[in-house]
Amino acid sequence: MAVFLFLSAAAALAEDYGDAIVSASIGDARNLIPLLASDVPSSEVAGLIFNGLVKYDKDVNLIGDLAESWEIRDHNLVIIFHLRKNVLWHDGHRFSAHDVEFTYQKLIDPKVKTPYGGDFERIKSLEVIDDYTVKVTYKEPFAPALSSWGMSVIPRHLLEREDLNTSRFSRHPIGTGPYKFKSWRTQEKIELVSNHGYFEHRPYIDRYIYRVIPDESTIFLELQTQGVDSAGLSPLQYTRQTDTPFFKKYYQKFRLPSFAYTYLGYNLRDPKFSDKRVRQALNYAVDKNEIIGIVLLGLGRVCTGPYLPDTWAYNPKVGPAAFDPQKARELLKEAGWADSDNDGWLDKEGKAFEFTIITNQGNEERLKVAQIIQRRLKDIGIKVSVRVSEWSVFLTENIDKRNFEAVLLGWALPREPDNYDIFHSSKTAEGQFNFVTYKNEEVDRLLTEGRRYFDVEKRKACYQRIHEILYEEQPYMFIYVPDGLSVLHSRFKGIRLAPIGIGYNFIDWWVPLAEQKYKVVNPNSKFKISN
Amino acid sequence: MGSKRLLFGCLIIGIFSLLAIAAPLVSPYDPSSIDQAGLLMPPSARHLLGTDGLGRDLLSRIIYGARISLSIGLIAVGISVAIGLVFGAVSGFYGGLIDSLIMRFVDIMLCFPTFYLILAVTAILGPSIFNIMIIIGLTSWMGTARLIRAEILSLKEREFIQAERAIGASSSRIILRHLIPNAIGPVMVNATLGIAGAILVESGLSFLGLGVQPPTPSWGNILIESKSTLGVAWWITVFPGAAILTTILGFNFIAEGLKKKIG
Repeated sequence: MAVFLFLSAAAALAEDYGDAIVSASIGDARNLIPLLASDVPSSEVAGLIFNGLVKYDKDVNLIGDLAESWEIRDHNLVIIFHLRKNVLWHDGHRFSAHDVEFTYQKLIDPKVKTPYGGDFERIKSLEVIDDYTVKVTYKEPFAPALSSWGMSVIPRHLLEREDLNTSRFSRHPIGTGPYKFKSWRTQEKIELVSNHGYFEHRPYIDRYIYRVIPDESTIFLELQTQGVDSAGLSPLQYTRQTDTPFFKKYYQKFRLPSFAYTYLGYNLRDPKFSDKRVRQALNYAVDKNEIIGIVLLGLGRVCTGPYLPDTWAYNPKVGPAAFDPQKARELLKEAGWADSDNDGWLDKEGKAFEFTIITNQGNEERLKVAQIIQRRLKDIGIKVSVRVSEWSVFLTENIDKRNFEAVLLGWALPREPDNYDIFHSSKTAEGQFNFVTYKNEEVDRLLTEGRRYFDVEKRKACYQRIHEILYEEQPYMFIYVPDGLSVLHSRFKGIRLAPIGIGYNFIDWWVPLAEQKYKVVNPNSKFKISN
Repeated sequence: MGSKRLLFGCLIIGIFSLLAIAAPLVSPYDPSSIDQAGLLMPPSARHLLGTDGLGRDLLSRIIYGARISLSIGLIAVGISVAIGLVFGAVSGFYGGLIDSLIMRFVDIMLCFPTFYLILAVTAILGPSIFNIMIIIGLTSWMGTARLIRAEILSLKEREFIQAERAIGASSSRIILRHLIPNAIGPVMVNATLGIAGAILVESGLSFLGLGVQPPTPSWGNILIESKSTLGVAWWITVFPGAAILTTILGFNFIAEGLKKKIG
């Protein structure tokens, strides 16, 4: 009897293979070569097909991925990676150190249009010691060095003779990851199947389907018919539409801190915004808590700088400034803006204070934020127009060409605080990330120092000081850090909440046989189920 | 029957026009006043038609929206009738090569799916109320031109026109004083329907985010928000939708009534 009980308990604990997960996304992927995947959908899909040398574990510590272990030598100038020996590419070819070398060569090749090259420019040399050992030497200490090797490795044997920018590989990728690419129907869906020979273990869920549904409300309708297993939620959906018995029965809801913030960026080349007092005034005039209350329905935190709250780089002593329209008016007056013609709008040298906020289409939260800012600045006499622009036009015409007065945008934050690319004065050329043209010598120096030290305490001093300066100088109006809201179908088991989120152990997720929804028909059977 | 419809249509449009003109006097709140404490409130005594996701009073927004939607309808159709009249009259009166050229141009214009043409043009020029009026006007005159041309073709052979010619009247006098006034009836019917069409196009454009930009309310852009709040706040969908429906119905009644009167 006791033996029987033990056996059945064990059976209930064992994970079952099978089933599929359908994930919904508003946008389609663009390019599945990880070096060229700069948007979220592409990186999400490519992340399941490829591996880097290192990755983050559930507590946001770096652990080995394709690398089994590593040694750091010569005062942090040298990293020696020892690679796993049992890894195969999806086509059966063996993974080796030459693939790592090839990936590095492509990352620093000026002909390859990758936005990720910056982290690899400080490397003096990369040597292949043997098939499973790579030695990387840096010109100077570079703190983000180890985390930068989270970059996915691409196969040399398939890409050696290809031009990465135009390669067919971008739509038919072959990696080392837990899932293999199967098919891609543009603007419809991408299908991946599990890699039975994955070096960690075979993933329990057999298929991963990435469905493109270009509208939040339609995704929500699909959730109601259980056509989609995993999707993001808007604050309204999270708080008011998913507390029904149906959702409680079929879905598990998640509210996690997100690694992103939303801000209003000013074009600092515009004389209106060149005075620090004006930017501070705008910050006083807009109540971030009101925005969080209305737009996020309370599901987020006030943002005071470019680092995530609760991380070591974040300076808890910075702000947030109180909502104080009176102070805003005073500061504007000091800067020379007053309503001299009594028309209700501030003016200076005969010109009214007016500007346009541009934001991207399809993001209802941002449109609401823009309208609240518009209203609150109207209260202190600044005339704001709002323009909504299509995403790719917005990026190429407005952001890349610096053709804007103010933009409402967000940054997704990496776990590594180094934000040299965003605030350093050398990164203001067309297409680079410092598009507000922020220049501050002290920030430049601290950014350079921050990536040179390995000692967290020393780095902390740099980044916390940068945080302080940026809040004082207000190149951006920092608005909020939203909570990440999502749902997942309740038949999936094995999800473990951790500081890094929920997706880190995806290959351990599973569905009990009895609850499996998508059954695979035996491919050898001569009968096929028709639809 | 015709006059009853005409009357009913005029009544509906009259009410909406009055509301639009007197918007600042009749709307209970500032249409862009944001209220964190009153998000998505259902219709009540305080907010007759409820509030939207920013806590703005929906009734006030619909009243102000009437200004935008109706004026876009009227001005766009004004432009299209003006263009249509000129092309139609010239084409019908002179005939021959000019007629062929103009009518082929009309055919070309009719080949474009209008809504997509408008979408493309607003995407290039950037959305604004002014642009929308002009674009709708420039892409909807072909029907009017054909109507006028057909009327003039039959009118110009009539005796009173022959008489005018006999006494040596100039072409422009004949077109302006005799042909157009006699051909205008069907055009008015067509134009009334055109206003309704223009209001729908504006709503469609605004719904797609290419129309009137916030915070200016138009019936179409009020409806955008309803998409995401459909399951939570039915009033944001129903009331602007009803406003569009009633107005279109009103213009259709007027058009039908006019047709009966004239025909």
